Amino acid sequence: MKISLNWLNDYVTVTIPPEELIERMTMIGLVSETVEEKDGDKILDVETYANRPDTLGHLGVAREIAAMLEVPLIEKKWPVDELDQRTGEVTDIQIWDDGLCPRYCGIVVKGVRVGPSPDWLRRRIEAMGLRPINNIVDASNFVLFATAHPIHVFDLNKLAGRKIIVRKANKGESLKTLEGKLLELSPDMLVIADEEKPVALAGVIGGEETGVAESTTDVFIESACFDPVSVRMTGKKAGLSTDASYRFERGADISFPPQAALMAASILSQFGGKVTRGVLDIFPKPRKTKSVILRLSKVNGLLGTKVPGDFISRVLKQLGFSAAEDKKGIWRVNVPTFRVDIEGETDLVEEVARFYGYDKIPSEITPLRAMEPPAGKTRDRLGRVRDILFHQGFDEVINFSFADPDKENVLNSGRKPIPIRNPISAKASLLRTSLMAGLLENAAWNRNREVDDIHVFEIGNIYFWTEEGRAERLVLGLLDAGPLGKPSWQARPEMADFYHIKGAVEVLMSGLRYEPFVFEEVSHPYFEDDEVLSVVFKGERIGVFGHLRKTVLDAYSLEGPVYAAELDLTGLFEKQPRPFAFAPVPKFPGAYRDISFLVDRSVRYQDVRRAIERLSIPCLEGFELQDRYAGPSVPGNRVSLSVRLRFRHPKRTLTTEEVDKFQQEVIGHLKSGLNIQLREGGQN
Amino acid sequence: MGFSIEDGPEIETDFYNFEALNFPPHHPARDSWDTLYITDDLLLRTHTSPVQVRVMEKRKPPIRIIVPGRVFRRETTDPTHLPMFYQVEGLVVDEGVTFAHLKGTLEYFIRALFGEKLKIRFRPSFFPFTEPSAEVDIQCLVCGGEDKACRVCGGTGWKEILGSGMVDPQVLKNVNIDPEKYSGWAFGMGIERTAMFSYGIPEMRLFYDNDLRFNRQFILK
Repeated sequence: MKISLNWLNDYVTVTIPPEELIERMTMIGLVSETVEEKDGDKILDVETYANRPDTLGHLGVAREIAAMLEVPLIEKKWPVDELDQRTGEVTDIQIWDDGLCPRYCGIVVKGVRVGPSPDWLRRRIEAMGLRPINNIVDASNFVLFATAHPIHVFDLNKLAGRKIIVRKANKGESLKTLEGKLLELSPDMLVIADEEKPVALAGVIGGEETGVAESTTDVFIESACFDPVSVRMTGKKAGLSTDASYRFERGADISFPPQAALMAASILSQFGGKVTRGVLDIFPKPRKTKSVILRLSKVNGLLGTKVPGDFISRVLKQLGFSAAEDKKGIWRVNVPTFRVDIEGETDLVEEVARFYGYDKIPSEITPLRAMEPPAGKTRDRLGRVRDILFHQGFDEVINFSFADPDKENVLNSGRKPIPIRNPISAKASLLRTSLMAGLLENAAWNRNREVDDIHVFEIGNIYFWTEEGRAERLVLGLLDAGPLGKPSWQARPEMADFYHIKGAVEVLMSGLRYEPFVFEEVSHPYFEDDEVLSVVFKGERIGVFGHLRKTVLDAYSLEGPVYAAELDLTGLFEKQPRPFAFAPVPKFPGAYRDISFLVDRSVRYQDVRRAIERLSIPCLEGFELQDRYAGPSVPGNRVSLSVRLRFRHPKRTLTTEEVDKFQQEVIGHLKSGLNIQLREGGQN
Repeated sequence: MGFSIEDGPEIETDFYNFEALNFPPHHPARDSWDTLYITDDLLLRTHTSPVQVRVMEKRKPPIRIIVPGRVFRRETTDPTHLPMFYQVEGLVVDEGVTFAHLKGTLEYFIRALFGEKLKIRFRPSFFPFTEPSAEVDIQCLVCGGEDKACRVCGGTGWKEILGSGMVDPQVLKNVNIDPEKYSGWAFGMGIERTAMFSYGIPEMRLFYDNDLRFNRQFILK
């Protein structure tokens, strides 16, 4: 809201310099976003709040300043040049829907000379950043910016029957607005009509046909109140937001219409107009004064202050409230009708606090009476996930939750996407069903900027429809491509490959103690066949990783290979990890035996591992795959594996015979179970 | 300081995002929280405040929570606005909680974040779910109020960094907490904007380009 300091002087005598005024206004909640110098005036652009429509005019802002400076608010007189004729003899007003129009006032001014506005009026209009149009239109805008109450001026002689009917629009009716736009009206819209047709969209905009023109001499001034929700819905439907609708949808002062009408009539009197006697005021259901109880104990209890009672009485009076102290420290406060924001006691506490000064409220640390229950484990685990991945050389990224339908199609995640009804753009019209699209965008962005070592992860939600409704799941996505580290003078770095992403997933699962986990062969929409594995914990598939399909990479113009993983953290975190248990540090030396053998290619190392684990040899501390070889010396359908076995006894040193026996047990078991063939010299 | 961290859904209902927080339907107050809708009732949460309501529904005071998370607004992208960003929110509800507690605790938090000797001011504002409401400004770290043309503070010497207030009694009533017995305070701040201000980052967009030359500067070391 633009506020002219000169204009404010109509209502309040400001004796402090403008800089100090602006500063002090800020501290009661009237923040000037900008201050503009204009013809010796200062124009503030004051931030206003949706609950304070009274500050959308100079009068309301002046009232705040008067209270702040503890000076009286100046009451301006608006004398009119009156006719003998009573308003009711010249025109008629009917309200057919008093729910949507609780009050409607009208007054007629005859014999107005339409022309340019006088200087004082032009300056006011220009201060608001508007172009003066003519004295009548400018007078109407003047009233709005002075008092926050919108009025409308009709050419009386163009109103059929010189009559106003406030009603809902009929089906098929239309209105050509002052802006020259033809609006189709619908029956939920409140209109101002004459005897024949709508002449204005109530509280939003007037019609062109009945508007003021060069030829106008007699005018009907409308000053009314309309239902805020109705004005808002109508304005939205018509695609219109005007200075009038902006105020009405926040709530107009139900008491003010007669004054606003007289004020406009008074100005038009200055242009030769003669005003009909008395405002014609249709107000079917006058409202009771709102009253709120305010307790001194509540003020100081909520603020943590010792505000004295007489200060409270004084501030409320300055702001236009009438406060009667029923008992010591308890006021019955009557709320003026222009303060549509005041509903309850704490609203009044805020009024007291604003003028007492937030800076005078003491600062204390909130006492801690009880501890919160320990939080869930999710956040700790996420911290762990981040640590583990940072140590593996991954960087964290955060992408938007929005997705491009074309890219979603390419990935074909199999989850039913959730569309946004009013998206920012067509390319962001879905919610993502996978983190992969974002990670691929990140890879493309960085590649295009010569950053080739792309090892990134994101932790975030994916969204999709299920039978039960909407679902949000917390997912971890990894993308892994390019050199692992920077080249040095000694060596070129290795490149990310299938085993690197697999290693990252393994370290993560072990690091979180989600063990034992297994890998299973799967097929997947965005990973190449035979280059993808799922990770399974306690029988449930937790995630998938592998080599991204060429068709997917092509959609992002990315050269392969690019590896990726996606893990369902919601699912994983619902499961219990292996509890941590301390194991004694070994006191006795271990013994190591290697076995090398040929086995069918169809046998996976995982099968070998399971076979050995099933033996449950107590002294077998662990074992690792040392080598895998397929080449000229190995038959085509077979592969050579070397496994190192580690034996140890907790209480003594193992003898060679014992270790030999264990080794033979393993070999025997693998021979019978997996049909291995020991290689020559394949045991030592 | 005894707070626990809470989470909530990003797809919310109109009730949790607006109504329970004292935004009446069709009220212009909603205009400042421009919303991306899924259906008439489902939307992408425009702030982390619905989590306040969800927690207060489940638990009785004393409550002390911090809620970080993604929020969404139907806003045109510019250097300081994006359709998605992160907020962090705090809520305290207990017997005898005052505005003085809000001030003291937030001052401690802000000084811990930005520096001991910082000037801080609380000024009146409006949020539908707090009453009284306050916005909190800190002294401009860029110009210290010395530069009339400062691009960060606009020459005012102050930079707004968070919104706060005493929990509106209607919000407490909506979750069956008696406002005559209990009171509370809450605050919310934008994470990216705070980081932009702290590190002199000119464009919010940089957080979401995920240019690794940017991201790698923030690796926790």
